[in-house]
Amino acid sequence: MPSEFGLFVSTDIAKCSGCKACEMACFQSHNIKRNNVGKTVGTISVPVTPKLYVTVIETASMPVQCKHCENSPCKAVCQQKAISRVGSQIIVDEAKCIGCKDCLMACPFGAIALLPFYVGGRQAPQADSSGGKVAASKCDLCYEDPEGPACVRVCPNEALRLTDVNEERKKKNIAAAEALAVINAGDPGRRALS
Amino acid sequence: MLCIGCRTCMIGCVVAHEGKHIFEVDPDGYDFHPKLKVIKTFNVSVPVQCKHCEAPACMAACKSDAIHIVNGTVIIRTEKCIGCKSCAEACPFGAIQMVTLGSARNADGAPRSVANKCDLCQDQPKGPACLRVCPTAALRLVKEEDLGQTLKNKRLATLGLALGAEAQKQAAIGA
Repeated sequence: MPSEFGLFVSTDIAKCSGCKACEMACFQSHNIKRNNVGKTVGTISVPVTPKLYVTVIETASMPVQCKHCENSPCKAVCQQKAISRVGSQIIVDEAKCIGCKDCLMACPFGAIALLPFYVGGRQAPQADSSGGKVAASKCDLCYEDPEGPACVRVCPNEALRLTDVNEERKKKNIAAAEALAVINAGDPGRRALS
Repeated sequence: MLCIGCRTCMIGCVVAHEGKHIFEVDPDGYDFHPKLKVIKTFNVSVPVQCKHCEAPACMAACKSDAIHIVNGTVIIRTEKCIGCKSCAEACPFGAIQMVTLGSARNADGAPRSVANKCDLCQDQPKGPACLRVCPTAALRLVKEEDLGQTLKNKRLATLGLALGAEAQKQAAIGA
């Protein structure tokens, strides 16, 4: 990723209808290779394990997903070094995850869940072979997909947006500067002494 | 309209927060992170900085309890910042910039980036450095009482205009 700071997907809550298309697209795009999950009915043979979590209350809904924090609490607490920074993004290596849940507890957003980890249509074994593997699951911004985050692409309401804070800041700065010009123009005491 | 876009306010801001030693050390040896930014458009040049909103969107968006209002000033406690960028996203003015600190690293040794914005030079007894160094005196600190007086003056002027218009109307009727 070319940006200096972690990109993330943000939601226009006014547009989100809570349809969960983002969740399904997230699951599908991350499991097409690993578990041969397709885009059509009948191709899903493993549990649906998204990396973002649509959260609904009576008056609003939004997919809660990773903000790719610069000083990530999840990365700081992971003893297995399963969470790392790739470019500017925070990525979980499920193979290294032992399911200790520290990252779930550390994340202030609830952006990480502990979900079954399937490979080739079967649940992978836990490191100590005691049972089926569960691993930390959170948004990786579809960093392996050249088309970018699947959630953004499938949202029928265009409620999701890949956000670069630096780029957004430039736009907002210009609008704020122009607004200050208007304020000054209406205040004779602030005009140049010309 | 007095702003000539010289960016002295940005330099003054860094000097105030980093100390004067910045003139004596290697330019890479300190953090040059102004807490305001001069924006130049076709129409205007002006520093954009925090407005210290009464209901700050940045504070509402912060999940790590790092943004507080202290004596009417919105302050970021950078030691608590996890760099989630929610405040920068929330601010409608773009007054918050993410900056990577040279002076501190995270516990795991990784670079530390935090939200950075105007704190009205809360630690400076003389007040905001930007307005002290501005060569054209284009900046001023708007205090609550100033705002009150400005509004009062405007309303008195509005009343004066209305009185004038009423007098003209009466004169027209009388004529």
